Amino acid sequence: MPISHDQLWYKDAIIYQVHVRTFFDTNGDGIGDFRGLAQRLDYLQDLGVNAVWLMPFFPSPLRDDGYDIADYTSVHASYGNLEDFKGFLQAAHERGIRVIVELVLNHTSDQHPWFLESRKSRDNPKRDWYVWSDTDTRYQGVRIIFVDTELSNWAWDPVSKAYYWHRFFSHQPDLNYDNPDVREEMWKVMKLWLEMGVDGFRLDAVPYLVEREGTSCENLPETHAVLKELRAKLDQHYPGKMLLAEANQWPADLRAYFGDGDEFHMAFHFPLMPRMFMGLKLEDRKPITEILKQTPQIPPSCQWTLFLRNHDELTLEMVTDIERDYMYDQYARDKHMRINVGIRRRLAPLLDNDRRRIELMNGMLMSFPGTPIIYYGDEIGMGDNIYLGDRNGVRTPMQWQGGWNAGFSTADPESLYSPLVLNPVYGYQAVNVESQKRFDHSLLCWMKRIIKVRKANPVLGRGSIEFLYPANHRILAYVRQLDKESILVVNNLSSTAQAVELDLRRFKGNILIEMFGRNIFPRVGDLPYLLTLGPYQFYWFRLRRI
Amino acid sequence: MREMIVNELTQATQELVREFARFLPRLMVMLIVVLVGWVIAYVVKWILRSFLRLIKFDKLSEGAGATQLLNKAALPSSTELVSRFAFWTAWLGFILVGVSALGILGMQEYVTRFFVFLPRLLVALIFLFIGLLAASFFSRAALLWAVNTNMPSPRLLSSAARVLITVFTASAVFEELGLADSTMLLAFAIVLGAVMLGLAIAFGLGGQDLARRFLEARFAPEKKEGQEREDELSPL
Amino acid sequence: MAEESILTDEFLRQLINVGEADVLVGVPTYNNAATVGQVVQTIRAGLLKYFPRERAVIVNADGGSRDQTSDLVRGASISDLQHSTDLNALRTLHSISAEYAGGPATGTALRTILASAELLRVSACAVVSPESTTIAPEWIERLLRPVYQGNFDFVTPLYRRHKFDGLLMRNLVYPMTRAFYGKQVREPYAAEFSFSGQLASHFLAQEIWTHEVGHTGTEIALTISAITGGFRLAQSFLGVKPHVDARAADLVAAMRQTVGALFWSLEPNFSLWSTKNDSQPVPTLGAGQEVTLEPLRINRKRLFGMFRSGVAELEPVLKSILSPPTLSELQRISALDEGDFLYGDDLWARTVYEFAASYHKAVISRDHVVQALAPLYRGRAFTFLVENREASGEQMEQKVEDFCLTCERLKPSLVEQWNGRK
Repeated sequence: MPISHDQLWYKDAIIYQVHVRTFFDTNGDGIGDFRGLAQRLDYLQDLGVNAVWLMPFFPSPLRDDGYDIADYTSVHASYGNLEDFKGFLQAAHERGIRVIVELVLNHTSDQHPWFLESRKSRDNPKRDWYVWSDTDTRYQGVRIIFVDTELSNWAWDPVSKAYYWHRFFSHQPDLNYDNPDVREEMWKVMKLWLEMGVDGFRLDAVPYLVEREGTSCENLPETHAVLKELRAKLDQHYPGKMLLAEANQWPADLRAYFGDGDEFHMAFHFPLMPRMFMGLKLEDRKPITEILKQTPQIPPSCQWTLFLRNHDELTLEMVTDIERDYMYDQYARDKHMRINVGIRRRLAPLLDNDRRRIELMNGMLMSFPGTPIIYYGDEIGMGDNIYLGDRNGVRTPMQWQGGWNAGFSTADPESLYSPLVLNPVYGYQAVNVESQKRFDHSLLCWMKRIIKVRKANPVLGRGSIEFLYPANHRILAYVRQLDKESILVVNNLSSTAQAVELDLRRFKGNILIEMFGRNIFPRVGDLPYLLTLGPYQFYWFRLRRI
Repeated sequence: MREMIVNELTQATQELVREFARFLPRLMVMLIVVLVGWVIAYVVKWILRSFLRLIKFDKLSEGAGATQLLNKAALPSSTELVSRFAFWTAWLGFILVGVSALGILGMQEYVTRFFVFLPRLLVALIFLFIGLLAASFFSRAALLWAVNTNMPSPRLLSSAARVLITVFTASAVFEELGLADSTMLLAFAIVLGAVMLGLAIAFGLGGQDLARRFLEARFAPEKKEGQEREDELSPL
Repeated sequence: MAEESILTDEFLRQLINVGEADVLVGVPTYNNAATVGQVVQTIRAGLLKYFPRERAVIVNADGGSRDQTSDLVRGASISDLQHSTDLNALRTLHSISAEYAGGPATGTALRTILASAELLRVSACAVVSPESTTIAPEWIERLLRPVYQGNFDFVTPLYRRHKFDGLLMRNLVYPMTRAFYGKQVREPYAAEFSFSGQLASHFLAQEIWTHEVGHTGTEIALTISAITGGFRLAQSFLGVKPHVDARAADLVAAMRQTVGALFWSLEPNFSLWSTKNDSQPVPTLGAGQEVTLEPLRINRKRLFGMFRSGVAELEPVLKSILSPPTLSELQRISALDEGDFLYGDDLWARTVYEFAASYHKAVISRDHVVQALAPLYRGRAFTFLVENREASGEQMEQKVEDFCLTCERLKPSLVEQWNGRK
């Protein structure tokens, strides 16, 4: 199945997020590699996803899981070499799976040759590639992101006797995007990977590119200008390639990253995700509908990306204080579960391993307007290990089967890059791909089915959304519409059976066809349409006039 | 002539004595019947009362709400009432039987009429009972209302209510008894007229004050304001 | 015959949409548009502030208002349908309003609220008067929290009142309820109170609903039922009680609602109250009750006049109610000058007890018994006002306490009269 030539392919995509290191190890060193990833592409094709987002795999001291890049042009030795990458890329494309590569624009590792040069002396040609200062009082009032580990956005460099600016860890100095050389160098990096055939970039930490005194140094117009410049070059030389923004901001601020369709193609909808968990716990649709109502319209060529969980903590920056306290109390009573301003847990443990809730959340993810992302392992309900440091608890090896190292590697278990999850409930002997493939009712098989239905209905990726507001606030109901296609989605957020009356008068005369079993429900008449839903149940109906 | 007179007198006397001699046993019979009737009626009353007490008739009637009604009409307890009624009915029956034993011409007919009349009497009694009840209730209600709203002359109002209802009751009772001939009607009209006149005078005298207050309130409200403000205290 | 349904179809429909809830605030209304808007908004603020995570609902049981009452209540809803993003609310708040059947009656409204509470399986339910314009968000906390935390089943309020406000409460309802049922509940007839879900079910199962107290005076009947049911009581200090517009208050109606209901309750609870000889304090939460001392002009002359004419005019009625010594004592004091007049604790307590006994025996219509007490109460109120003209709040409290003790002391006389013949 070759990849399509649709320029808007990302609108219909279902993205699988994975780190090379975590997936499959072919050389027995305890670390996953590109050859392993290529070997497991059949699994991804069977699952039904049509895009893979690879987290940073570049040479790096790995002090921030690869987000501290020391060389943008190569592959970290543990994962293989450029040839292995190219082999993987080709194999993926053969299976109709696109590859999105992650680039960190904002900063490099302090081990990157550029920074080593820059810190050498104050008159080094690369001195101006980073943000240097004699004092640590510039840009005061700019928030610190990693509040648990960093005290300031400035760090002292004993070599060149000056402060350098860093928004993340102190070993990650920020590049200076006011410098045209930096911008040119970054475009060269992108070109390199585009030439190899990657289909898009996820650009990490984009709001922080440019600094200006007296501002929050986030979302500045100058930053947008840098991004627009990159996009223009991309469109000019590599049409059909995609840019995905990582910007943990409120929807109104996020909107700017789409520009007039001339900046990013896609951006993560960060505030939605915690509110989905909140709505589920409150058994109340209000948090979800409210955030989606606040979500601004985006240009027609643009798309939101949606996710339930990812490699980071479940971020609670984009919620109010009262909501944050609630989320902590409900989802992270144990302090080990919290990190920075968020919760470091996987999907299944967050939802108490409740299959009904896992299905409901995935059902909403797949039916909201946007492109869904599945974090590796969540399709089989993998657990986490909150006692590993930082966010490593959600980055444990993929659980392929119940045998040696969960089938991930032939190395000694002690030499794995991370311990496996051994918990009797979530451990690899209980939760693994092989066992779930055997049974039709497994979460994995269910995920395959819902992905199939989602892919078969472009209206879910591209259609408009209109909320119905039934008086029963436990029911979240909406109509997705594209041209003449209409899909009605009804979700019961509550743990108990509910009755709901839907006002479907404008669809009078249509019959409802349940999309998983294709069973026919009664025709819509003048009266409110009565539905009953079991605990956490949801329906997808195609509306058809016959 | 003299002899004739004496003769006549003797004959008349003899006739009288003979008549009396003939009547005396009947009188004796009547007295005995009445006396025995009283004894029997008393026994009936005693047995009935004992029986009713035994089955706790008072409790029953209390449950049915009859006791309250009787209390309100200022009547004795229901057991007492029923047994007294039985006593009087029984004794009255015996008296009438006794009277008929006298063999007085036409009396027989009256006795028969009495027994025919009995049900109507009963109905009339019930009317009377309800009427008295209503009179007592409404007169008291009027009294309490008048007192609690600071109306003048509450007693007068209360009495007026009582008289009015009593008069209506009386007329209904007489009607039922078939005694409502023109005399009764006239009497009723006179009483009613008197009551109305009394009421009119009473209201006129009392109403003078009321009317003044009303007019004051209507046309000179500002004068009243301060006074009214401090008037009533809130109860709760 | 099918059992009558308490809730109308419309009410039920709205309750289904609300679904299970944790806390409920009930507001019985009838043409309260002037104040209900402010009250409901304050309730909402209280719920948002103190119960942000709980599933809360405001239930307005309306007696068929012809003004804007219902709209004002519904306006307090928080849902995703309305744009109220400035409100920092976690979840949907339903504020529903529907008319109950059978015409305006506080009892029916309360019953509707109770049925709603039971149906929604709430843990704690509060009732708030739509006329309490001095309400603050804290009231909701103070009413609901003790119940919601599971410590108490029934919470009655304490208010900061005007010195001479609530005279009937101080001189009759509180002391008598206390003497009868042995619990020192200061406001047994309260406009605001709260109860647990369990107690709501208990209330609903009571006999009262088929009687007159099921319509008026229901509040006191509920208090008594909470006491006699052995539920855990508490009093919670709320704040300032608004001064009721005097002209709107009808003493006889108030007596029916309080004294009538209180006397009525004695009948089924005889075995309970006849054996109690003392009283226990009820746990009090918050600042305790206080009085404000600014002067209130009351026409004492009129009070005395009405008492005097009442004793004279009602003689035949009083004769059937009171014992001869009590009546003659009454007649004696009513002949006194205003300056010498004193309707003492002892005599007043005996008066009330004899009225209670006569009510029980129904010597005359029971309603008339209650009405006949009104003029005598005016005499007592007159004495109370004169005695406490210069008294401080504490001194006045002491007087009330003394009277309560007198009532408790004289209670055996009532038990005696209860079963004795008149």
